[in-house]
Amino acid sequence: MDKLANRLRHDAENIDAKVSDELDRRVRASLNGVTPLTDQQATAPPVRPAGFWWASSLTGIAAAVAVIAIVNSEQEAPVPQATPADIFAVMPRIDLKTETAMMTSPLQQELDALQSDIRKAERRVREEIGL
Amino acid sequence: MRTETQLIAAAQDGSADAFAELVQFYRDKLLRFLLTRCASYADAEDALQDTMINAYRYIRSYDPRWRFSTWLYRIAIRNAGKLQRPGVVELGDLRDEESDPLLQCIKASETENLWLSARRLLNDEVYAAMWLRYVEDLSVNDISVALDRSVSWTKINLMRGRQVLDAAMNETEKTSEAYG
Repeated sequence: MDKLANRLRHDAENIDAKVSDELDRRVRASLNGVTPLTDQQATAPPVRPAGFWWASSLTGIAAAVAVIAIVNSEQEAPVPQATPADIFAVMPRIDLKTETAMMTSPLQQELDALQSDIRKAERRVREEIGL
Repeated sequence: MRTETQLIAAAQDGSADAFAELVQFYRDKLLRFLLTRCASYADAEDALQDTMINAYRYIRSYDPRWRFSTWLYRIAIRNAGKLQRPGVVELGDLRDEESDPLLQCIKASETENLWLSARRLLNDEVYAAMWLRYVEDLSVNDISVALDRSVSWTKINLMRGRQVLDAAMNETEKTSEAYG
């Protein structure tokens, strides 16, 4: 046996504890009041009363019904609706310098006319600056 | 004089006297073991009494494949565990030198009792494993059954416990040499 094992055994023997006569009497008196359980008793799961499962099922159903009733009976909180007036009151006013387009022809003709106007304006600018 | 097997059979038939005779050999060692896991001597005595009562109550479920001491220690460890409720501060933290039952029962010695170091350095399960191995001479298999742990867990923790206590023993020896 190695040194550590010897030391552990020796030190365990140095723990001076013995069962007193009084404790011995107490233990014996307790043992006389106990009967060993049979194998079935020792390993059987705890037996529930016959109505236990019915009672627990009914309790669960009642709780579920109560929760559903409470959830459905609660009125929905009113959702605040933002009116256009509110939005315009909050938004900053922006002044746009624009002119309303006068649409008198189909879009393609309008586009051609605008491009023509741009070309004319470009030509006039070139003439003025001497290009 | 009846053998252990005969005493077990008689106890299983309901003889409290046979059971008392059966545990006679183990009760002092069990009390020493329980002292390390209880806050006071009285608690250790109560835990021993509960262990005896439970062991007798369930004696018919004893499996003779295992040593009787393995089975008895398994019950004792469970009883001691009940005294250390979860959420309660570790008993070791509350003990002071005057009320510590283990300190009270240790005979005066030149070196510190290694089981005191073990209690300080190891957790409850590893402590129990070391006790069962080196005081009760239980096999690794028996210890794993008593602690309700796997064999590999038991082997690893016995090895770690050995390393820790080996270091503690060498340290105390060096200190005593230095002062000697």
